Amino acid sequence: MSGLGSWVARRLLLGCVQTVAVVLLVFGLTEALPGDAAVALAGDQPDPARIAALREAMELDRPAHERFADWAAGLPRGDLGHSLASGRPVSSYLSGAFGPSLLLAALTVVPLVPLGVGLGVLAARFEDRWVDRLVSAVTLGVYAVPEFALGVLLVTVFALRLDWLPPTAVGYGTDLLGHPAALVLPVLVLLARPVCSLSRLVRAGMIDALASPYVAQARRYGIPDARVRYAHALPNAVAPAAQQLARTVDWLLCGVIVVEALFVIPGLGTVLMDAVAERDVPVVQGLAVVFGVVTVVLNLGADLVAHRFAPRTEVAA
Amino acid sequence: MSGSETAPGAVAEIEGLTVSVGGRRILDGVSLRVRPGRVTALVGPSGSGKTTTGRALLGEFPAGALVSGTVRVGGERVGHVPSGPVPVGPAPVRGGPARGTAARGAPVGHVPQDPAAVLNPVRRVGALLHDIALGQVRGLPRRARRQAARARVLEAMAAAQLPDGAALVGRFPHQLSGGQQQRIVLAQALLLGARVVVADEPTTGQDALTRRRVVEELAAVAARGIGVVLLSHDLAAVRALADEVLVLRDGRVVERGPAQRVLRSPATSGTRELPPVKLALTRDTAFGAPRPDVVLRVRDLHARHPDGSEVLHVPDLALRGGECLAVLGRSGSGKTTLARCLAGLHRTYDGQVLLGPVVLPRSLRDRDRRQLAAVQYVFQDARASFDERRPLRDQVARTAVRLRGVPARDARAEASAMLGALGLSTVSADRCPGGLSGGELQRAALARALLARPRVLVCDEVTAGLDTDTRRDTLDLLDGLLRTRGDMSLVLVTHDLVAARFASRVAVLDAGEVVEQGSSAEVLTAPRHPLTAALVAASKAVPVPDAIPGPAGSSCRASEAGSA
Repeated sequence: MSGLGSWVARRLLLGCVQTVAVVLLVFGLTEALPGDAAVALAGDQPDPARIAALREAMELDRPAHERFADWAAGLPRGDLGHSLASGRPVSSYLSGAFGPSLLLAALTVVPLVPLGVGLGVLAARFEDRWVDRLVSAVTLGVYAVPEFALGVLLVTVFALRLDWLPPTAVGYGTDLLGHPAALVLPVLVLLARPVCSLSRLVRAGMIDALASPYVAQARRYGIPDARVRYAHALPNAVAPAAQQLARTVDWLLCGVIVVEALFVIPGLGTVLMDAVAERDVPVVQGLAVVFGVVTVVLNLGADLVAHRFAPRTEVAA
Repeated sequence: MSGSETAPGAVAEIEGLTVSVGGRRILDGVSLRVRPGRVTALVGPSGSGKTTTGRALLGEFPAGALVSGTVRVGGERVGHVPSGPVPVGPAPVRGGPARGTAARGAPVGHVPQDPAAVLNPVRRVGALLHDIALGQVRGLPRRARRQAARARVLEAMAAAQLPDGAALVGRFPHQLSGGQQQRIVLAQALLLGARVVVADEPTTGQDALTRRRVVEELAAVAARGIGVVLLSHDLAAVRALADEVLVLRDGRVVERGPAQRVLRSPATSGTRELPPVKLALTRDTAFGAPRPDVVLRVRDLHARHPDGSEVLHVPDLALRGGECLAVLGRSGSGKTTLARCLAGLHRTYDGQVLLGPVVLPRSLRDRDRRQLAAVQYVFQDARASFDERRPLRDQVARTAVRLRGVPARDARAEASAMLGALGLSTVSADRCPGGLSGGELQRAALARALLARPRVLVCDEVTAGLDTDTRRDTLDLLDGLLRTRGDMSLVLVTHDLVAARFASRVAVLDAGEVVEQGSSAEVLTAPRHPLTAALVAASKAVPVPDAIPGPAGSSCRASEAGSA
């Protein structure tokens, strides 16, 4: 067990390094973009004198590495700096936007796991029969539809034509839970592709497991079918599915920009897009830190699950 | 449940069983009777129908098979001997009537050749045992069930000679030794209350001490009144265990009778079908013709696992030109690690491996082309060492292209010639590995290594698990190679004494230490180390009838003389 402990410690350390690398990269890329926050703030009538004044006020005239060092110095204290555009602390941006993103992610994951696993098991159980063909065809078809196209389609049908649901979350602010109807379409769009990829992975793993000698042995020895399927075959399909699930949750938590933009949900993706448009470097960096940490932690979790369900695989740092 | 009662005294019975797949009869009118407490052995070469017969007792048939005849277990007809074809489909038919019947009525236990295959890699070994036991305690109140089931599991494990069951149920299969895995599978059968146990090649690929242990375990199972059906080409094990022997050939029973008679009398029709046991005896001479020059030398080698624990220590070991050196030891003794160090496949070691005067880099990646070509490795599992989707000839030719810079066209011609010389037809060479037998693939693997023109050929357990015919061919092949290619030396990694006997010299490994080395005649006839003595004794312990002379019979199963 100490082997596992030191592995986790090494992974976390490596994760820190990776997060720093991401932050550096994001800083460099944002700097490389034409224009800066002063230009963005000056708006449509760029007056050079005004821009210069803004720049000085925002301390943008200082060299890039100094600004980065200042920002980085605040990190250990949990200080992510202040927005250039509004002057508000970056942390308030993040905490405000994390709520909606987290809510959407949670609402998506809760049905995702039973749906994806259930469809996968169902298809594997009836491999090559019509149930399997139907499930496989539909999941492959849906997987091929990008989020924005599916979103537009759903909005057109259920909001505009049938008028059952609101088309966007405009006007609800961050209080999305108070308006559950506004969440139905975004969650459906977010759910569509992950369900497909998850169920296809589970199906493949289950088919292998169901054809294996150890499942044959369990059947031979009179273990009830359902128990064979869920207790003896399914665990073998868990490891790859867990990795896929981690990638999906990561994708959800880091703000699915297309979906948030389409349904006007003030989540992390929206904040990121606005911040980049305003060249609001501290906010972008703050987001990079959050995304980096989320990714590292989720993947570590998935690897631990995979380690439990594929115990012969040595954990690889 | 049509059909008559099982014949008196039989726990299972097969009558006139014929199975055809794709128009080919793989079983033809096989009949057999399993008696309680007796061991019935089915012997015969690979493909003779042993496994199909064993599966029939379990109520399982190949997909798409046409089946006629009856299979009865414990007086009940195994429900699913179908009159029509067995449906082709996802291999194990889910909850088919046969399985149900077999499970409810008269359970049949199954101990496969590779016990690890029937142990779920991601569940603890106690999981299936517990599920089996739960099915038997349904009558109890919910709370008592779990405990009763656990008690039953531990009892069955103790009966399968796993006294420390409580410590083992929580382990994963890969945390158990091969012997423990096999006993877990036996415990499943005992827990099930099986009246018949089908053991498929239980001793194949094991060293002499392990084989003796397996023989004892199966004898203990029979002593509990269970009918044991032993499918084996290990005549020594059959001789030690069987009460009745059936000799199968091409799906027919060509001879049957009490073990003593069938195995003793060479005049009967069965003789031809029995694996030729004379293998070792016809050859007194060692492989090759050793010269004094040292081709490969290992100096003060300390090999470690990646986690740092030392697994092997070899102070000094030399391989001379044209000689065959056998590295002998039980599984886990470090012999494969040694071979892998030579070939650059195991990098974490201190000390030196010298090719001639030059120290070889530890890793394959750091060796130049000439060094790579000089030491070639032939793996135990030939099939796994080929790409399934490319024709064999192309894969074999690749060695010459990569390691000797031969143009692709010439390399293919060389590959064809080499494959031909090793007895593989052009047709086979054009196929992908999936369409070839294990023996053919071994030849191809050997051809692939030889195309590099190696100075040292390392053969790792290359004949383990082969039937006797294929093994003898392989040994002959290696012998021929060593004689015709004077510039090549052979390292034969093996647990088999017969193969070791062919080597000019033997090094015996135990727990990572070289405990004995010397000429094979010396080491194997007058062993000084207790392990060598135990191996030699174990190989002799299984009684050998006079009609089949010599120590060869004792080890016939395991010959390991490396081949591809």
